[in-house]
Amino acid sequence: MWHIAKRELSDNLNSLRFALATVLLLGLMLTNAVVHLREHPERVQQYRERVSGHQNHIAAHASNGLYDLAQEGPGYLYKKPSNLRFCAEGSETFMSDRAQAGYHRWSTDTLKSFWILAYPSATPNRDNVRPEVTKVDWGFIIGYVLSLVALLFTFDSISGERERGTLRLTLSNAIPRHTVLIGKFLGAFISVSIPFILGVLVNLLVISTSSDVHLDAEAWGRLGIIFFIAVLYTCLFLALGMLVSARVQRSAVSLVVLLLVWVVFVVFMPSTLASIAGRSTSSGPTYDFSERSWKLHEELSSDYYANYDEGPEGSTKRIEIDGAYVTKDAEQQEQLHEERLNRRIAEVHRARAITRLSPVTIVQNLIESFAGTGFERHLQFLENVKTYAREFRTFIVDTDNADPESLHIFGVRTGMSQEPVSPEAVPKFEDTLNLSKDFNTAATELLLLTLFVLVLLSGAYLAFVRVEV
Amino acid sequence: MLTLIRRELLDNLMTFRFAAAVFITMLLVVANTVVLIRNYEQRLESYNTAVKTHQQKVRGTKTYSAGDVVVDRAPNPLSIFNVGLDKRLGNQVAIHHGFVPTLWDAETHGSDTTFLNIFFAIDIVFVFEVVLSLMALLFAYDAIAGEHESGTLRLLLTHPVRRSHILLSKYMSAMVCLLIPLLMSLSLAIILLTGTGSIFLKTADFLRIGGIVFSSVAYMSVFYLIGLLISAVVRRTGTALMVSMFVWGFLVLVYPNVILAALEPLHDSEPRAKSVFSQIQQMWEEFDTEHKAFLINDPVPGESTSFGIGWVGYNFKRFREDSRTLRYYYKAGAHFDEIDERSQPKVPYAQNYYRFLVPLTISTAERTWLVRNQGLKDIFVQPAKIDRTLLKLSPVGIYDAATQAWAGTDLLSIQDFFDAARQYRQTVIDYFYDKEVFESRQWFSADKGAADWRTLPQFSFQRSDIKINAKRALPDLFLLLITNVVLFIIIFLIFIKNEV
Repeated sequence: MWHIAKRELSDNLNSLRFALATVLLLGLMLTNAVVHLREHPERVQQYRERVSGHQNHIAAHASNGLYDLAQEGPGYLYKKPSNLRFCAEGSETFMSDRAQAGYHRWSTDTLKSFWILAYPSATPNRDNVRPEVTKVDWGFIIGYVLSLVALLFTFDSISGERERGTLRLTLSNAIPRHTVLIGKFLGAFISVSIPFILGVLVNLLVISTSSDVHLDAEAWGRLGIIFFIAVLYTCLFLALGMLVSARVQRSAVSLVVLLLVWVVFVVFMPSTLASIAGRSTSSGPTYDFSERSWKLHEELSSDYYANYDEGPEGSTKRIEIDGAYVTKDAEQQEQLHEERLNRRIAEVHRARAITRLSPVTIVQNLIESFAGTGFERHLQFLENVKTYAREFRTFIVDTDNADPESLHIFGVRTGMSQEPVSPEAVPKFEDTLNLSKDFNTAATELLLLTLFVLVLLSGAYLAFVRVEV
Repeated sequence: MLTLIRRELLDNLMTFRFAAAVFITMLLVVANTVVLIRNYEQRLESYNTAVKTHQQKVRGTKTYSAGDVVVDRAPNPLSIFNVGLDKRLGNQVAIHHGFVPTLWDAETHGSDTTFLNIFFAIDIVFVFEVVLSLMALLFAYDAIAGEHESGTLRLLLTHPVRRSHILLSKYMSAMVCLLIPLLMSLSLAIILLTGTGSIFLKTADFLRIGGIVFSSVAYMSVFYLIGLLISAVVRRTGTALMVSMFVWGFLVLVYPNVILAALEPLHDSEPRAKSVFSQIQQMWEEFDTEHKAFLINDPVPGESTSFGIGWVGYNFKRFREDSRTLRYYYKAGAHFDEIDERSQPKVPYAQNYYRFLVPLTISTAERTWLVRNQGLKDIFVQPAKIDRTLLKLSPVGIYDAATQAWAGTDLLSIQDFFDAARQYRQTVIDYFYDKEVFESRQWFSADKGAADWRTLPQFSFQRSDIKINAKRALPDLFLLLITNVVLFIIIFLIFIKNEV
């Protein structure tokens, strides 16, 4: 078996395709590293500035008293950039890097709207007139280029030998067929791995030697997992190549079949399926949302004005009515935003469930979840934001309760504690990444990918065992 | 020569790859067309609703200054072929006297599916970009190398045929074979298009589709010739195939994505944006000084813009600034439902104020527009142009640019809409001047008769003429054709000198 693997390997190493694949993968990985080194420090810098801006914002309002803090809210909350963004940044550009915790909605002479959690709806890409291209990240290199290379290495592994007659020769020796197959598989696997590993090494070397980007132990662990996923994915295409190569008589035909399968499954299936899934579940247009939001507010305010005369100016009753109006309005609007967000998330979940038919989507999802980017990460960020919002509100309530002079009526300045708030005591938003959570969501996809590989490998085995030489 | 063509044609037509080419192209084109049509219909519906909503909203406003005139950009039916920028850029823009609208101020109405953008959207031209080029290479890699290996080339050349004829016949027969899947899938797509009730294609649209088809043929031919060149140089089918596949991977998959990422730092526009924006702010500050001077010098004491009028309604002053897109939006006015009887004598002061304020706003807006226009061009359009040019080093980029121009989804065509929107703004302002709206009572108050929006000129936008589309597509088409000719000459020279 090792003998066969070695023979395959030496055959491949001298071939043109090996040289071309090495150049291609090295070039891509190098570009990726250089681009990352250029962009990442800026991103981290921007994030730091924004976080300190957020803290200043809180401090400024805290010094104005509890009402101001409670009314304005914590302001923009920003997503922490992942230091493994070079692995997968494809979908990151389409997702907002912030959530809005508090913005001006309305005010009257005496009242101001309270803050709510809102999620930016505009696509960040809207005023970009430059041509749109796929980002060259590991997801792209592995998903598209490596899979193509894997097919180019295996399309003639069996049919080619059969054409030349060397297969008959090999099988005339006393070697079981599965040994031949495994040997061939190993040979192809190693010869595809060499350019890829070279590329990865160069990429990581460039990135880790730079002083701007710091990769810690956890990041290296994640990189290890991503590498393992890439290997599994390569195996899938190697197995596919062997399967077709064993079934088809001529290597030219085998390549045509493989390329078509590749084009359909890798290039077209993800986007076509996603658009089918997306269209069938599309949520309503934007103005529906603003209309609903406006209507809710309008109903509430007409109720409020209808009961306006019940509480005379300056009385506790007046404060109670005002406070109820403001807090109810904030609650309603936040719920509306929450509903819309959930609907959007459900859409993506549905679309992703369908696109899992394509191995490239699985692999890109997996890489994203381990690199701490992409949709799953965005959900985690939103979760963090919600937790923080609760924390912030609890803080306001607790501080207010600690003051015996306060009326404990939220929403109105006179109803709340007038004591100064120390800016240090206010909770700060800290966005975190959590690996164990990532692994849970990724486990199913990992299993699915393994299943694909196993099915194709056994298919290749069965095809090869039955093949007539 | 005819015999040669017939021989090649029969050879090609009976192959597995031909059947596969037809099958795959049709499958992909049909599947994607169905999805794209549905998507177009949704966008059209959302456009119609938006137009209706915006009109109702304006008609419902009782004062002129509080009215929000919004124009909407209709989706382009040819975006099914090449979506270009049609879906990405904003499709509604506010028309207002204090602000000259551009593409960067447009907002989006329509489906609210923010996250779904993470899935790459495709169009028919993208299918062709990938599949046709692959097919062309698969047809070409063994055209010369294969015959060379099997020895039939030597046999053929013993006959009194000229080498150029052999080459031409190979080229022509392969192109015919490649045209079949292209035309079949396109006609299926057109049948699907015309089968829906929502899309009406005019004659000009069919001509535009014809332009797209022609560009597709030229694109396909470039890749066939690249394959033929490889086949003539390498002379072994195995190697030719490998080289072709890597060339394909590089040109279609790698180059367009790598080049833009690698050359990003060329465009650092921040200082330019800052200087332009401060210039714009300066102009508005001048406006503010003049405004204040007027309020101080007018007969009513104080700087109040209500002139002591007792009213029910609201006063507004909206302004939004964004230094990234150089936006400075200024809109001030009032909407009084009722005016106190005792304040009636003071109303002329307000009228006088607006007679002064609105023309000043207009002229300031127009002055800032001149600066902003140039700034926007330098900051946004110029880098996009450089990117486009870089992409054109690969045939994929040229093809994409040409088809976008034909379909009218390129930047220039989208800007046409915003030109029309600006023109419409001018029309509205002229109309207001004619009717003396700015100094009228209805500008700010609805207490004696509401604003009359019925005679306001309607906005209409016709997509650019087919001639303009053709003019925009021609340079790229020409580039494709030149590439074809150059490649053919090189192949010819190599083939003539080849030893058999």
